[in-house]
Amino acid sequence: MDSVILEINARGLHRYEPIKTGITRIGRALDNDIILSDPTVAPHHLKIIRHADQSIELINLAAVNPTRVDDQPIDSETFRGLPLQITVGRVQAQLLPRDYPVAATRPLAGNGNRAHLFGHVGWALLLVLLCLLVGGLDFFLSSYNSFKWSDLLKYLLRETVFTIGAFVLVLSILERLLVNRWEIRQLVTSVCLVYLLSAVVSMLADNLDYLLSASWPGSLLYFGWYLAIIPGAIALYLIHISHLTRERSLALALLIASPIALPSILQSAQMQSLFDNFSPTANYHYQLSYLNWHLRDSVDIDTFIEQARKLEAGTAAD
Amino acid sequence: MFLWWVFATPAAALDSREIYQQNQDRVFQVQVLNRETGKKSSIGSGFIVGDGHQLATNYHVVSQVVAEPERFYITYVSNGGEEGELSLLAMDVAHDLALLGAQQELGKPIEMSELPPRGAPIFAMGNPLDLGLTIAVGTNGGILNQTDDSRILFSGSLNPGMSGGPTFNEFGAAIGINVATARNDISFIVPSRFLSELIAAAGSNGFDEGVDLQAEVARQVLAYENRYIEQLLAGTWPDLELRQFRLPGVISPTVRCWDNSARLSAVARYQRYQIRCANQNNVYLDEDNHFVGELVYEYYWLESTELNPIQFYNLYQSLNKDQIESKPGRDIVTNFNCETWFVEVSSQTFKSNLCRREYREYPGMSDLLFIAALTGHADKGFFVTLTMTGVDFDAALPLIQKFLENIEWTP
Repeated sequence: MDSVILEINARGLHRYEPIKTGITRIGRALDNDIILSDPTVAPHHLKIIRHADQSIELINLAAVNPTRVDDQPIDSETFRGLPLQITVGRVQAQLLPRDYPVAATRPLAGNGNRAHLFGHVGWALLLVLLCLLVGGLDFFLSSYNSFKWSDLLKYLLRETVFTIGAFVLVLSILERLLVNRWEIRQLVTSVCLVYLLSAVVSMLADNLDYLLSASWPGSLLYFGWYLAIIPGAIALYLIHISHLTRERSLALALLIASPIALPSILQSAQMQSLFDNFSPTANYHYQLSYLNWHLRDSVDIDTFIEQARKLEAGTAAD
Repeated sequence: MFLWWVFATPAAALDSREIYQQNQDRVFQVQVLNRETGKKSSIGSGFIVGDGHQLATNYHVVSQVVAEPERFYITYVSNGGEEGELSLLAMDVAHDLALLGAQQELGKPIEMSELPPRGAPIFAMGNPLDLGLTIAVGTNGGILNQTDDSRILFSGSLNPGMSGGPTFNEFGAAIGINVATARNDISFIVPSRFLSELIAAAGSNGFDEGVDLQAEVARQVLAYENRYIEQLLAGTWPDLELRQFRLPGVISPTVRCWDNSARLSAVARYQRYQIRCANQNNVYLDEDNHFVGELVYEYYWLESTELNPIQFYNLYQSLNKDQIESKPGRDIVTNFNCETWFVEVSSQTFKSNLCRREYREYPGMSDLLFIAALTGHADKGFFVTLTMTGVDFDAALPLIQKFLENIEWTP
C-alpha cells in the first residue's frame, strides 16, 4: 500500500485527496487537511493516521453524526485492507489504494466523430429543421380551413418551438444539477429525436387500431410511450451522454419522466376506467383510415345481423 | 215537437268558473310521502274515475312508489282538506298513466269524452306548485302524431303539480289527463281513451304484494316498443336523398327530420351536410327523469375536393364520435358493450359499430347505438347513426337490417 487515495463522492464528479503517511485531519473547520463543507460534518470529524506498517487508523472526533466505516460506527479502529467505505456526516467517501482500477474511458459524443448523431452541431440543426417540418406537416394535415402563413408560424412557435425549447431547458437544468455539465447540442438532438418519434407513434397508433379493429394497439403505444419510451430515452441519454451508471440513470430517468408521464397516464381513459369502471359513453372503434387496411373480413347485412345477435349484454359497474 | 226540440238541444257550454265549481270536489292532490319522515317527496293531481273508489293520475307522479315501495306511499288530499291513503291498482307506463285505489268512495266519477274539435276551448285542473286547486284555460291543438297519437297539444299553461289532473271540454267532461309542458303555453294532455282502456283492464285489487313493479314497467315499455318496431318494419319507408345516397326518410308519422348541417366557416375547404330524424316517443321511466322510447337516426355527408386524403380522413375521423344523448348513471344502466364489423351495403363497405347497454332494474330493456362509416373513398365520407333507447335488443336488430337494406349508393 504505497499510497492511499480518499475518494469523496460529490455531485457529478468525485473529488480525490491523497492520504500521506502520518496524520490527516478531516472536518468542516478550516484548519483541517481535508475540508468538507457539508453542514452535517463536524468541525473536526475524523483523523486518519497512516502508520509505517501500512495500516490505517481511523479515529472519530465527532460527537454528532459520528464516523461510520462500512456502515458501522467507530471510535478508534485500525484497518489493514482497502477499500474502506467511510461515512462522514452524510458525505460518502472511500479509501482506495492508488492502483485501484478505474472504468474504461467513454468517448465524447460528437467530438471528433462527425458521423455521430449526438453532439454535432450540424446534426442538431438538421433535426431541429426536421422537427419544424414535422410540426408544420402536422398543422397542415389537421387544417381543414384555408390558413395564412402567420397561422402556421404561430402553430410552430406554440407547438414545436415551445415544446422542444421547454424540454431542452428543463432537462439542461436537471443535467446541470445532476452532473454539473451542460450538453445543449446533445440535448437538442435527443429531444428532437423523441419529438419525431412521437409523431410516428401517434400515426402508427391510429392505423394499427384500424388495421386490427381493436383499441389495444393504441393503448399499448400510449402507455408504452410514457412508461418505456420516454424514460428509456432519458436513461439512454444519461448513460451515453452524461456517462452516469446504468442504475443511477434508470432511477433518474424514471424520476424525470414521472412529471410528464403520471398526469397523462392518470388522465387517460384507460386509467380512468380502472379507477371508475363505469362509462356513460360507448367506447367504440371510431378510427378511420384512408389506407383502409383492415384484417377483419367484410360481411353482408344478413351475416352482420346474425353475428350481432351474439353481442353480449353490457356489464354492470360496481 | 217541443219535446224533440228540448232533447235535441246540445248541453250548454260552461265557462271555467262553472267547470271549476262542478269539479272542485272531484279533483285531488296526489302526494307521494316518505315513510320515514312522513313528508311529501313529490306531488301531482288526480281525479275520480271508475266506480268512485279510483283516482286517475300520471305514472310519473307515483313512479317513486314503483321504484321503492318500501320507502314511499301514496295519499290524496281533497280540496276540502280530507286525506287518505291510496294503493297502486294499475299503470300504463307508455302513456304515463296510473290508476290508484282508495278504501272509501271518494265521490262521483268524472265523465269522460272524446276530443273536441281543434281550436275548441279546454280547461286543465290541478294543484300547481302545491298552491291549491286552479283551472287553466286554453285550446285544443289536436292529437300529435309525432307522439304516436299519445299526446294532445294544449295551448294553455300547465305547471308542476298539475300532472295527473283532468282536462275538460266546455261541457265538463274529461277529454284527457294533464301530463307535461314545454312552457310558453305549450302543454300536453294524454287522450282519455288510454285512461278508459286502463280502467277497463285494471282489476280492483291492484298488484299482489311483493310483485316486482319495475319488471312490470319493463314489460310494458318493451311491449310498447316492440309494437312500435313492428309498425316500423311493416311500413313502406319513403326515401330521401343526400348527395350520393338514397336513404330511409320519414319512416313513421312519429318521426320528424331536420336539416342539422353545421354552419361552416367561410374558409372551410370541405362541405358537410347533416340530417337528423327523431321521434317524440318519450316514455317516462323513473323519478330521475330518465326517458326511453327514443329513436334517432342521423346522416352525415362530408366531401372535399381541396383536402388531401390524409387531411380528409383526419377530419372524417374527428366527426365519427356520435353518442346516445341520454347518459344515465351507473345505478341505472350497465356499461356499453361494442363490437365492430365491416359491412357491405349497396356495393359499399361501412365500418360499423354496434353497442348495447342494459337497464339494471328493468329486465330485458336495452339502449342501442349503431354507427356505420363509409370507407374506401379519398374525398367522400358518410356515416349513419341509429340510436334507440329502452328496447328489446333482439327485436331492434331487424330494424337495423331494414335500415341498411334501404340505403342505396347512387354513383
